[in-house]
Amino acid sequence: MAFIEASAVSKSFGTGPSARHVLHDVTLEVERGEFVSIVGFMGCGKSTLLNIITGLVPADAGEVRLGGDLVRGISQGAAIVFQNYSLLPWFSALENVRLAVAAAFPAWPRGRQADHARRYLEKIGLGSALHRRPSQLSGGMRQRVAIARAFATEPTILFLDEPFGALDALTRANLQQDLAQLCSSAERQVTTIMITNSVEEALLLSDRIVPMTRAPRATLGRPVGVAMARPRTAAQLLHDEDAVRVRTHVVESLTASVHRAPRLPPLIKSEASDASDTPLIAVPDRTEA
Amino acid sequence: MNAKRLLHIVLPLSGIALVGLVWLVASQSVPDLPSPLRTWEESKLYLLKPLEKRGEMDQGIVLLAYYSLVRVSKGFLLGILLGTPLGLLLGMSKTLHRMFDPIIQILRPISPLAWLPLGLVIFRKSEPAALFAIAICSMWPTVINGAAGVRAIPQDYWNVARVLRLSPFRTFTKVVIPATLPYIFTGYRLSLGIAWLVIVASEMLTGTPGVGGFLWQEYNSLIYAHILLATITIGVIGFALDRLMGMAETRLRVT
Ligand SMILES: Nc1ncnc2c1ncn2[C@@H]1O[C@H](COP(=O)(O)OP(=O)(O)OP(=O)(O)O)[C@@H](O)[C@H]1O
Ligand SMILES: [Mg+2]
Repeated sequence: MAFIEASAVSKSFGTGPSARHVLHDVTLEVERGEFVSIVGFMGCGKSTLLNIITGLVPADAGEVRLGGDLVRGISQGAAIVFQNYSLLPWFSALENVRLAVAAAFPAWPRGRQADHARRYLEKIGLGSALHRRPSQLSGGMRQRVAIARAFATEPTILFLDEPFGALDALTRANLQQDLAQLCSSAERQVTTIMITNSVEEALLLSDRIVPMTRAPRATLGRPVGVAMARPRTAAQLLHDEDAVRVRTHVVESLTASVHRAPRLPPLIKSEASDASDTPLIAVPDRTEA
Repeated sequence: MNAKRLLHIVLPLSGIALVGLVWLVASQSVPDLPSPLRTWEESKLYLLKPLEKRGEMDQGIVLLAYYSLVRVSKGFLLGILLGTPLGLLLGMSKTLHRMFDPIIQILRPISPLAWLPLGLVIFRKSEPAALFAIAICSMWPTVINGAAGVRAIPQDYWNVARVLRLSPFRTFTKVVIPATLPYIFTGYRLSLGIAWLVIVASEMLTGTPGVGGFLWQEYNSLIYAHILLATITIGVIGFALDRLMGMAETRLRVT
């Protein structure tokens, strides 16, 4: 039995004619210590799926098990990096991280909690911005604080929801390296599920990549393993045979799901019709305005 | 830039002058209404010797204002001491909100003039009755804003509290309080405004020394200029209080 098991998870929002059937029969298995990426288009229900797996949001149908137990609420040892950072704006970077440390290690004296928090912020390059509030930090710096906050609790399960989604390409590349380093340097075995919309990012970091089909009624495609040795570099990914194979598989699964969409039984008329003539990869953002 | 700044001073002053003009005209046609000049002549003593105590009600304006301010502070503090936790509770619990919202909506519009006699019946003394009326009239904005503030906390922050596995106490002190503080302070500001409105009514009815008591006594003694003196004083102090609370409010707002 896999460490994390989501079986036949479905989720809709709203009721009646305005209902939005987001996830349909999603099944996912993640082994202990594995790094799995879920890749999908904007608005296809990735965050919804992750929220269900973490226990933040209940599923309509299906179940999630972690180490064999049904997930109800956030599990001990789990940390989440949210898509929108979710830092507390009234606390400085250091206080944000220290709050997490204090909750994770309540027995430690305050000084040790603060030192621990500071160390993680310094590790990720924020040593000079410890006392700034989130509003005084750039997007990349906020994202770093969110990552430091997650890692400082020394989690055994890590959920990352597009941790670099809002960043420019350069910052993104830097942070990806930092994250790879943090993941590999951890003395513990960390099981990670990362949501991303970038196949390259998934290739760089994961053991396995799962493509996610488009909403509505999104489900997971066939997973593909990434066998390349680590550490991986972006340049290496361009030519590596394995990387090319994985990339092709993922892109094909994603685009196939776009083609398949019009052939689905029209659950809701408007949605079926506006999905009918979408081009291949350049899919418009389907998130609500 | 400078012209703009000048405008900021000139325009309000012209507004005041205009109202003064209306007062002047009105005083010509209403025989008992003292003109601005007569008001000044008859009130000089109170303004120029603001700290002189000549009798129970016959005191300098600063002394009178001080009594009123002390009374209002006590009533206001009592009001927010009750109103803040009540508001936070109503914001956190849907059940409590459903249970108490209707009765609050019924109690809220009751005038201080209605509460005072009830206070006198319950406490049998004018001072606690006045505090009771001030507290119960002024607490509602704090209750309502506190509850609205808690309900307006973004789901993100609740999620953070859950993901970090914060204890209920930590969630309260580290998330709920900071997130609702701006709302609560808006509530405090509105509450203080109401408390100041109530002070006059309560002093009138209970006959205690203060700006309102003074106003009522001078009306009974037919010294109408002093009514105007007291009225203006009440307005100016109310304005100053609102400004002070407004400053505290902006300082608290997290950017
Ligand atoms: N609380 C909610 N109520 C109603 N609809 C929702 C809710 N949360 C999500 N949805 C809808 O479900 C769909 C999937 O949302 P979700 O946030 O999971 O997408 P996503 O894949 O994470 O998108 P993105 O890549 O933009 O982050 C969207 O169409 C969204 O409008
Ligand atoms: Mg998302």
